[in-house]
Amino acid sequence: MDNIRNFCIIAHIDHGKSTLADRMLELTGVIHTTDNKQVLDSMALERERGITIKAKAVRMPYRSRNGDDYILNLIDTPGHVDFNYEVSRSLKACEGAILLVDASQGVEAQTIANAYLAIDAGLEIIQVINKIDLPGAMVDECRRQLEDMLGLPGKDALLISAKTGAGVPELLEAIVSRVLPPRGNAAEPLQCLVFDSYYDAYRGVIPHIRVFSGSLRRGDHIMVKSTSRVFDVDEVGYFEPQLTPCEQLTAGEVGYVGATIREVGDIHVGDTIISPEHSETTAIAGSRRSQPMVFCGIYPVNSNDFPKLTLALEKFQLNDSSVSFEKESSAALGHGYRLGFMGMLHMEITIERLKREYGQELIATMPSVLYKVFTSDGEFIMIDNPSRFPAPNAIDRIEEPIIRAQIIVPTDLVGPCMELSESKRGTMVSLEYPDSRRTLLTYDLPLAEIITGYYDKLKSVSRGYASMDYDFAGYRPGDLVKVDVLVKGNQTDALSFISVRDGAIARARVLIHKLRKVIPRHLFEIPLQAAIGGKVIAREDIAPIKKDVLAKCYGGDITRKRKLLEKQKEGKKRMKMVGSVEVPQEAFLLLLKMEDE
Amino acid sequence: MRGIYIHVPFCVKKCDYCDFYSLPTSPGFRQSYVQALLREAEAHAGMSFKTLYLGGGTPSLLGAGLLSDLIRGLRHRLNMSDVVEATIEVNPESATPELLGAAGDSGINRVSIGVQSLDDSELKAVGRIHTASQALETVKLVKHLGFKSISADIIIGLPGQTWQTLSRSLETMVDSGIEHISLYCLSLEEGTLLAKNPPADLPSDDMQAELFQRASGFLEVHDYIHYEVSNFALEGHQCRHNLNYWRGGEYLGLGPAAASHLAGRRFRNRADLAAYLEKPAELTEDSEELSPKDKAAEEAMLRLRLLVEGVDVCELMEKFGRCNTLALARRLELMVSQGQLVADGFRYRLPPSRVLTSNAILAEVVEADNPV
Repeated sequence: MDNIRNFCIIAHIDHGKSTLADRMLELTGVIHTTDNKQVLDSMALERERGITIKAKAVRMPYRSRNGDDYILNLIDTPGHVDFNYEVSRSLKACEGAILLVDASQGVEAQTIANAYLAIDAGLEIIQVINKIDLPGAMVDECRRQLEDMLGLPGKDALLISAKTGAGVPELLEAIVSRVLPPRGNAAEPLQCLVFDSYYDAYRGVIPHIRVFSGSLRRGDHIMVKSTSRVFDVDEVGYFEPQLTPCEQLTAGEVGYVGATIREVGDIHVGDTIISPEHSETTAIAGSRRSQPMVFCGIYPVNSNDFPKLTLALEKFQLNDSSVSFEKESSAALGHGYRLGFMGMLHMEITIERLKREYGQELIATMPSVLYKVFTSDGEFIMIDNPSRFPAPNAIDRIEEPIIRAQIIVPTDLVGPCMELSESKRGTMVSLEYPDSRRTLLTYDLPLAEIITGYYDKLKSVSRGYASMDYDFAGYRPGDLVKVDVLVKGNQTDALSFISVRDGAIARARVLIHKLRKVIPRHLFEIPLQAAIGGKVIAREDIAPIKKDVLAKCYGGDITRKRKLLEKQKEGKKRMKMVGSVEVPQEAFLLLLKMEDE
Repeated sequence: MRGIYIHVPFCVKKCDYCDFYSLPTSPGFRQSYVQALLREAEAHAGMSFKTLYLGGGTPSLLGAGLLSDLIRGLRHRLNMSDVVEATIEVNPESATPELLGAAGDSGINRVSIGVQSLDDSELKAVGRIHTASQALETVKLVKHLGFKSISADIIIGLPGQTWQTLSRSLETMVDSGIEHISLYCLSLEEGTLLAKNPPADLPSDDMQAELFQRASGFLEVHDYIHYEVSNFALEGHQCRHNLNYWRGGEYLGLGPAAASHLAGRRFRNRADLAAYLEKPAELTEDSEELSPKDKAAEEAMLRLRLLVEGVDVCELMEKFGRCNTLALARRLELMVSQGQLVADGFRYRLPPSRVLTSNAILAEVVEADNPV
């Protein structure tokens, strides 16, 4: 156990984490290629977005300069604030963390957030400044930022280029010499943390584990502490990075366990695995589990696919237990689920993954935050879905979640960023200058503004330079109203939205106008209305269609005629019925798009 | 009942809205084309037909001599003794007395004239190369020569068209004794000149609908029967060749781009004139043989376009078998309850109010196999 080192890498997007991981894998002989193939980012989506979403692990054998053999376990962590939950889970399985900073970019907001998580978890922090081969490298600047912004001894930072490999051998030595070996007793009863898992169609759930005490081998029985369910172990092994079976996993090691766990609900990430003979073994204190902050409805395009969606969500949650879901039904969209996410990126990626990896055709509704609604009779309810808001006269007041955002932006672009934040109902908390060219803005902002495009706009007004991180900062009263949309008199719950009272009419008008463009003409007139309570605040009508006929001379080409009709019919299948009106899917995305303009 | 369609893919100049297969050609070329048609006919030697239709393109461009050769050649190779209706499409500029005379002598008894409009500026706006008065001359000439039926095409939605100009065209045509009128709606087909440069005064879809409605009202007042979505005729002058299309009948199409329906199979010749001249009988493409269920649905869709006779489900059952028609029958009944169709015993029809918005209904019918 003394020769095991468990560590992770903390870095901002594009600061070179995956490249560094690849270089380490090469130096330790785990992979033999030198092409930039980024072994850890195996999901197509991760590659596309250049970010690591799912924590994974890889084991590297390493002979140090003094001739001793070590096992290095690199546990991958996601870099985005939305995935804090996964980060803290991964940190739990490590004793050390490499804090990687891009020499040309400096310390970014998200790096600060994750570095604090690692410091709080008591991990040995190895500061590394990457990309020193770039002409724009500002090594001294970075050292100063590490000291000023994180209170770390920046002068000790190692200098590397993950791209060329320079400095990486020294980094491996530093891991061995500075990161503590795992503690824990192989002779004590089994205690393992499930820090990740995935579902294999043939083998069932494969939990990724860190063994804290005891040992685990094929033929053992294991028990999931939270559910008391018992399984037979048919394989243990580690990641190279592919699954490689081994004799046993003992205290301090990182690996996987195959135990024919068929039901995705039988084990969850964050669970503790123990031995059934020692059922009194305690659970490992849970990693920081934040509450979901952003919610949206997910509905299958074809209502018959609801059972498929259920299964996909169950499997998905196994992979990412931070997504919460519960059944909901919408008059417009049928049966679906209300999903809760850590943030917007988390939401986007989850929906994208459900579509791609699980083959689901989905409609996602406008995201919402969790509102505290105080009713006239003195009670309060938490509401994550605008359509469930009580009638205006039953509401005493509404409070909305506020976040405290830290924004790092080049000083010459601070003006537009402040303007944007003010326009999104932000209040400035402080303004600091961490270095000569950048400003650290701290703003309190309603989360509802953040989830409707604030971050994208921030990126655009700062020409991509701003980085942002945020923390939940409590609830604050807001002058908010629910706006309902009626399509031919039918209230369309999936189009309801919450707005600041002042801007409600303007937003409602834009939405109604856009709806008119998107909903095809029908045989009858379709009034589109937006209303607060019973009061209509915007209205447009879709005139009935008068001509939809094949009245062209196609002679005997019947096949062409039939295909035209079939195509028309195919288009209709992708519509949702609101009363007698066929509403295309894109109508439900309008609210989202509206915010981009 | 089986018909034969002969495509003549020549035009002096393509009209701005046209996406049919046609090319400008020389007289020598036309002669080789007639030879090729006859070679293709050879492949179906002995097949018998009740109707003949020469369409285009511009069949009148063949000229008197080639037209006579073509029909003589066809009679020689195919069984044409039962033909009751033989139509030629003509354009006013090439419908000479010689050509029409030759047509009559060859047994053609119906002439379809590409009038399109009797307003010169409308004609010009879409690149037609004849005038209104030329068209009327042609009508007079055809009348004089004693053909059994005259048909004229009219386009709804021409640039600048109003009810005033359209009603004038219709009135003149009705007065001149034309027995059959096809009302087509102008549509911007991909790749056409009109689609590339749509004129500003192109009537909207709503305007087209209004013009169509008024035109159809006008024609009905003058005893024309609205017997098919786009076709109106005085009693006894319905086009039997086209009726056969809508009734799911068989037909053989000769020439490039011509479609056929034989022995349950629908297919088409490739639209390639050069290749056709070389191997006229070997250009089949897009061959399709539907399952009996789909076939029944397709025929129902086609027959519903026949506004007067509609579709009789019992006839479909006899033709395609009960089990292949049952789901369709249920669907038709459901559509009656939804007001999309009207029923009279086992016969279903489009309600007159839905003729111009019939696509949604027909699309539903075509997919009759799906669960309701």
